[in-house]
Amino acid sequence: MINRRITLIGPEGTNLYIVFQFILFNVISWFTLYTSIESLEFTLSNLLFRQIIFSTIGIGIFFLTTYISINQVAELSFFFILVSIILLFGLLLTEPIVGVNRWYSLEAIGLPVYLQVSEFSKIFVIAYLARILSGYENKTIGFSLILINIILIFLQPDLGTSFLFVSVVLCMLFLTEIKFKQIFLISLCLIILFFIFLEFNLLGQYQIDRITNFFTSEDFSQQQSRLSISSGGLTGTFNQEIEDLNVFVPVQSTDFIFSLFAKNFGLVGTVVLFSLWLFFIFRVLLIIQQSDVIYEKFLLSGVILMLSIQILINLTTVLGIIPLTGIPFPLLSLGGSSVISSSILFGLINRSFIENNIVI
Amino acid sequence: MFRFHRVQFLFIIILLIFSFILFDIFSLQVTDYSSVEEQIQNQTFQEYYIPAPRGEIYDSKNTKLVSTSLEQYLFINLKKINEENLGTYKQLIKFNFIELSNEDIENIFNSKEALEPIYSLTNINFSIQKQLLEYDALEVFEIPSREYLYSNVFSHSIGYVGIPNAEEENEYQNARGNKLVGKNGLEKFYENTLAGVPGKVIFKGDQIIDYIDPIPGQDLTVTLDIELQEIVIESLIEGLDLANKNFESESNIERGAVVVLNIETGEVEAMVSLPDFDPNQFVEGISQFDYSRLDRKQAFNNFAIQGLYPPGSVFKVVAYWLAISENIFPVDANSKDDSIDCTGNLSFGFNDGSKQVYRDWKLEGHGAVDLRESLKQSCNVYFWDIALKIWRQFGNTDGESLLQEYSKELGFSKLTNVDLPYEKIGIVPDRQLFEEWKITRPELVREEGWLGGDLMNLIIGQGAITTTPLQVANAYRTLIVGQNSSPYLNLNATRVVNNNINISNEFSEFLLNDLGSVTNTGGTAFKAFSIMGDEVNDIGGKTGTAQNAGDKNNTSWFVGIDSISEPKYVIATVVDEGGSGSAVAAPISRRVIQFLKGLELTPVEFGEITE
Repeated sequence: MINRRITLIGPEGTNLYIVFQFILFNVISWFTLYTSIESLEFTLSNLLFRQIIFSTIGIGIFFLTTYISINQVAELSFFFILVSIILLFGLLLTEPIVGVNRWYSLEAIGLPVYLQVSEFSKIFVIAYLARILSGYENKTIGFSLILINIILIFLQPDLGTSFLFVSVVLCMLFLTEIKFKQIFLISLCLIILFFIFLEFNLLGQYQIDRITNFFTSEDFSQQQSRLSISSGGLTGTFNQEIEDLNVFVPVQSTDFIFSLFAKNFGLVGTVVLFSLWLFFIFRVLLIIQQSDVIYEKFLLSGVILMLSIQILINLTTVLGIIPLTGIPFPLLSLGGSSVISSSILFGLINRSFIENNIVI
Repeated sequence: MFRFHRVQFLFIIILLIFSFILFDIFSLQVTDYSSVEEQIQNQTFQEYYIPAPRGEIYDSKNTKLVSTSLEQYLFINLKKINEENLGTYKQLIKFNFIELSNEDIENIFNSKEALEPIYSLTNINFSIQKQLLEYDALEVFEIPSREYLYSNVFSHSIGYVGIPNAEEENEYQNARGNKLVGKNGLEKFYENTLAGVPGKVIFKGDQIIDYIDPIPGQDLTVTLDIELQEIVIESLIEGLDLANKNFESESNIERGAVVVLNIETGEVEAMVSLPDFDPNQFVEGISQFDYSRLDRKQAFNNFAIQGLYPPGSVFKVVAYWLAISENIFPVDANSKDDSIDCTGNLSFGFNDGSKQVYRDWKLEGHGAVDLRESLKQSCNVYFWDIALKIWRQFGNTDGESLLQEYSKELGFSKLTNVDLPYEKIGIVPDRQLFEEWKITRPELVREEGWLGGDLMNLIIGQGAITTTPLQVANAYRTLIVGQNSSPYLNLNATRVVNNNINISNEFSEFLLNDLGSVTNTGGTAFKAFSIMGDEVNDIGGKTGTAQNAGDKNNTSWFVGIDSISEPKYVIATVVDEGGSGSAVAAPISRRVIQFLKGLELTPVEFGEITE
């Protein structure tokens, strides 16, 4: 492995485009949150400053991740998946917060922060699955570990994130020589599994409600979020003093942040944001094509699939196309765990750009 | 194996979904924009504020002075009024509230607010109320109304409330929602305590979806005493009537002020300024006619803290204190007990050989006077002598402002920091001020600037000096307790110490005894107090008669101390254009002291004209 000198923008050879893109996404999030806060008072309960603190930590972690080579990630992946399973299992033993076992509260050590393990589990699962698919691991043990991981998330219960995991895993499987028929069979098995869970009442009532609500009537927050998006019009309300156009959207700063973004920056802003992401995906796809390392190809595909599918699920939720899921928009939604896990994903991408000597 | 074309395949699908999403957003934001706009407007929450009840005000003996009562009020939700039902509602209101004119009703319907009050439901019988509420657009909310239970009695100290202007809405965050703000007096000074947080009616579209109760303001207990206050007003009015009968003044004598201050604590137990007004007029909105009439009479001025008068002889205590502290006495005297011979005038020469003669108010002179006698008889010559000595010793040097410095220690030309708004500070003139006036107000000063004569004027409280009655009362209090602290009206106010002064223990005893001589045989206020018989031995005070520029009659002053042995109250009385202090202000104070001491009240009678 090449030893790289440390420069102001990370290790020598850091890809300027990725750094720029990463910071830009963070700043867009700040601007979006800026319009939702009432005062510029610097407190930990102020959403904007909270996010700026998370972003700052995220940027640090982005650079730190860059120092880990793709090889090391591959070697450590088995260890990662074990840590992920232990942490997720530990969660089930904690006191539920708002009825679910989804977060570790860091209040005990004096931080007003809740750690969402499944956000980090994303990275571990991708890293390990890429390892299995590139043929290094025992497939039976490997897939069982991944299945356990997903089931533990499902039991939290967190239907949205489990669905995200299943989609990403299936998509990554699809990239191997697997036949369509097999993918179809696996999907069928999972659907049957889902109904078994349903039958044995292992799902929370509110999740069933969400799904039934979706098919029977429109969900309030989704209805509101559509109105909020609509109120943005072509150019958004960012620079207009329109007090009257204030549509109330529940949890707008986290899962529904896109409705706030679209309201502030309108269709123009939306097109710009989409272009930035599509261009980013396109760049990563080029690397996947160029790389000679099979593990790296799988890892990057996993990372980019995770990010894109997350965005798709988030957007379709915000637009009321699918039921409520609780999946945040990467680097746009308010939330420490989400920002930091996205920072790690970007760090991994940056690393592979470095290893492939793509500087700009 | 890794199949790159499958990656491409997946991302083509992802791209397709993206396009579909973008298309959906496009239709939301562009094609459907106008159709959802109305829906958005209806979504938008609007707030209407219901005023919070203001804190009530109690006097020091817990008598309620200002009350807030809640009244059921009928409101109309104007968002529900459209062209179809407008006529119905107009008829309905006209029929049920005959008190409202057509114009009133038009104003209700032309309002830009979401809710508009119609009329109080207090006198509407229950079954009609029930009928009215069946109409969709009619609502009932409780509105507080403020009542000043003793109308004119506290018009200046408690002040009044009114509709806030833009500036007040910025300064006091609840003023806009309460639609009411303290405009003057304690109502203004303690606005943040008295004002509550307004309630909110929340609209979604034309529907009221939520109502948040107002939080009432906090009550205030004041140091004032209703009984004392009423006696003081009575006495001051009697005094004014008396002055009008005895003087041929061009204008009616109608302005005056009295402050009763607790010496130990600084509590203002009574504060009266005349002419006064009924603050209840402001609650319902005062007519332009009434306002102008009262304003012409200067009824809105609280003369106790805003009236600026030359203090005349009541100011002599400053020189009294200075003489003893600095050991500066007239030329032939070495101590306060050495006498000089007052012949009724003082003549002295200048360096250029010219001579000037100052005449005392008592032309035949006071005879042999020491410091005590000069205070008792209010002899000007003695104090002029002191001024001359200061002038000769320090004139034109840094030390020449000795007298001014002593005055400032006692709080003259400074805020007393009483808890009332718009307090005035008055003037203690010195060389520097005269230099400034040469430029800004040349009509007031001579070309030569500050001269010895100006100092001689100042020492007997004449000339450019102006003070407020509260300043004077607090200055006497300062000399007795040795500390200049702010007077206050809120019983729970934080006490502010302005500055400490340097006096010996004997000093206040001397001073009190000498003030005592003023009301006794041979003193300027003896005649005014003689009716009290032996009681007068324990009472003290100082008269003052200050000359005014032009045709204005003299300002009548009296500062009284209720007891020499156990001083509890200082009473400062001023009657604008009231003439001699011993004739008018002294008997007013006497009646107040009679009340304070629990003695029989005797009418205010004209005293002796001195000074």
